[in-house]
Amino acid sequence: MLRPFGFGFDAMASRCEVRLAAPDEARARAWAQAAIDEVRRIEAKYSRYREDSVVAAINRAAGAAPVTVDAETQALLGYADALWRESGGRFDATSGVLRRAWDFRLGIVPDEAALDALRPLIGWQDVMRDGASLRLPRPGMELDFGGFGKEYAADRAAEALRTAGARHGFVDLGGDIRAIGPQPDGAPWSIAIQDPRDAAGTVAAFELSDGAVCTSGDYERFFERDGVRHCHVLDPRSGRSVRHWRSVTVVAPVAVAAGGYTTIAMLLEADAPALLDRTGLPWLAIGPDGALQASPGQR
Amino acid sequence: MTTSDASNASNAAGTDAACATLPAPRGGAPLAPALLAAALALPGVSAPVAAQAPPERAQLDVRWLHYQDSQPGLKRIRVDTPSIGLRVPVAGRWTFEGVTSYDSVSGASPRWHSSVSSASRMSDERTAGDLRVTRHWDRATLSVGGAYSSENDYVSRALSLRGSVSSADNNRTWSFGLGRADDRIDPVNRIVVDERRKTTDVLLGVTQVLTPVDIVQLNVTHARGSGYYSDPYKTIDSRPRERVQTAVLLRWNHHFQGPGATMRLGWRTYADSWDVRSNTLTGEWVQPVAGGWTLTPSLRYYTQSAASFFYAPVYDPTLGAPFPEGYLTDLGAPRSPDARLAAFGAAAIGFRVAKAIDRSNLVDFKAEYYEQRGEWRLGGPGTAGLAPLRATILQVGLTHLF
Repeated sequence: MLRPFGFGFDAMASRCEVRLAAPDEARARAWAQAAIDEVRRIEAKYSRYREDSVVAAINRAAGAAPVTVDAETQALLGYADALWRESGGRFDATSGVLRRAWDFRLGIVPDEAALDALRPLIGWQDVMRDGASLRLPRPGMELDFGGFGKEYAADRAAEALRTAGARHGFVDLGGDIRAIGPQPDGAPWSIAIQDPRDAAGTVAAFELSDGAVCTSGDYERFFERDGVRHCHVLDPRSGRSVRHWRSVTVVAPVAVAAGGYTTIAMLLEADAPALLDRTGLPWLAIGPDGALQASPGQR
Repeated sequence: MTTSDASNASNAAGTDAACATLPAPRGGAPLAPALLAAALALPGVSAPVAAQAPPERAQLDVRWLHYQDSQPGLKRIRVDTPSIGLRVPVAGRWTFEGVTSYDSVSGASPRWHSSVSSASRMSDERTAGDLRVTRHWDRATLSVGGAYSSENDYVSRALSLRGSVSSADNNRTWSFGLGRADDRIDPVNRIVVDERRKTTDVLLGVTQVLTPVDIVQLNVTHARGSGYYSDPYKTIDSRPRERVQTAVLLRWNHHFQGPGATMRLGWRTYADSWDVRSNTLTGEWVQPVAGGWTLTPSLRYYTQSAASFFYAPVYDPTLGAPFPEGYLTDLGAPRSPDARLAAFGAAAIGFRVAKAIDRSNLVDFKAEYYEQRGEWRLGGPGTAGLAPLRATILQVGLTHLF
């Protein structure tokens, strides 16, 4: 009665897919489109690369007058604050300025002077938030929804899929996955975890019917220089790439929480297992030597 | 005694079927992670809840319930009820459900109170059928059901309408219900002929997800009935022809992350126009263990006050049993010696074992022991001189998903 369908698309600099079961192709398309539209809406609203985005407007006004933001943006800023608190300041939504010194395409490791110049522009605790009013206090400061924007889009797209009528399927935004229901026969989806050192290989799999699986890794955007791997997850204190984990995967009821913890775990490096265990969420991490570590239930 | 009374007795002593309808708190979602609470505060982000989801697979239930009660020195009512239920989802938006059951009741009809002399043997049979059609929307359901049961002296027909509406985040569900029952009583002793009893009931409820591991539910039910309530097989049994009943049920389910178990607590308080006031406390611990087994120990305590017209086993010195003291001085007054209208307390202890054999088959077995005594009442004296009533309930079931 229900047939499987998959719709691939590119968004948020990632390869994305909506997988679902529907009675016919017309409905499958309509349902998937509702999810894809929601992803595009969030991308347009919060991309730092788009001149007309909310984030671009906030960043342009850095050091100047406060900007007024809508309820959705306020809620996301509140979540950025929760990430900052939960990570002891490691997850900092203003640390995106470090990308000015890092060029992952050319593979240039910035020198200390370049990082020193940027460090004063980092500091979530200095961001002035008061209801709908938001102000980045210093010119040059930048806000960046990386680390939770894509995950939020996965949750919202899943909600759109469900509201449209789908009951079986998941949204995959570049590896950040949110499911809305099991396969039509009741069996969970099997979500494989990519091998961080072999793009075609997998290291483990999670069963998922509802809820989310997210993975952060050092293999998404990186370059190697003098035998050292520099990945895109940057520690706001040193301005340098994190080292410890090849990848961290977390299962949570919603993607924005799963993704938040994977990024925090990358940033906490060797201290991550203690925090992850405290959450009670299932997790799996691949260490510097390729060894697997996982939550008690997964071991 | 009519067999519907016997089933009522087994209901009062047996499982609270409605207890199972409260969804378990979402497992897997711990209370602790600060980020999860923050994430759920985001607009349009909600944790997975399948509250309104229609069932995906057809389900067949085959069940056998055995009830036996006794008073000291006397095995009383024995009820055996096999039943078959089928639930079929259609087009993802509809569910059709049907249950048919057959009771065979045998044993001694109740004594006036506790005396052995008047216990007579009885046996009866009852067949019952239930049909329900439910329409599912994304955040709402509406269902219409009909029920019919028949035994040689008692026919009951009921219609009900039920619905539910959930909030946008699925964390709150309002439910309502409206029911109407029309019973016909034609006792074999022809003490009355073609008597009727009509009952209308309404239900309002709200279920709220408080945290990822806590769900609470509040239900209020109100019923008004009029007609023949007396027991035609008791010599002295004349009850008012109106009954107004109100009950409030409060339930709390809490999931414990560590042991992966769910605690279910419930409190029900009830009052009616016959001056019966009752309170029920229930507790269950649902513990999944390895190998697909689930163990559920349960405890229940019940206490009630007597109906205003209940008469204790104190008989008229001239007329003797079953005539109450002063019977002749007030002939028209309502009176009943029915032990279920006495003041008493009761406790039940139960244990359910369920085993998921595979993704499609589940077997379960439940045993419960129930005992009621006048002196176990709380909040006032119990009816003195009532023999304790003990009951055992055994239930075995097989559920198959297609």
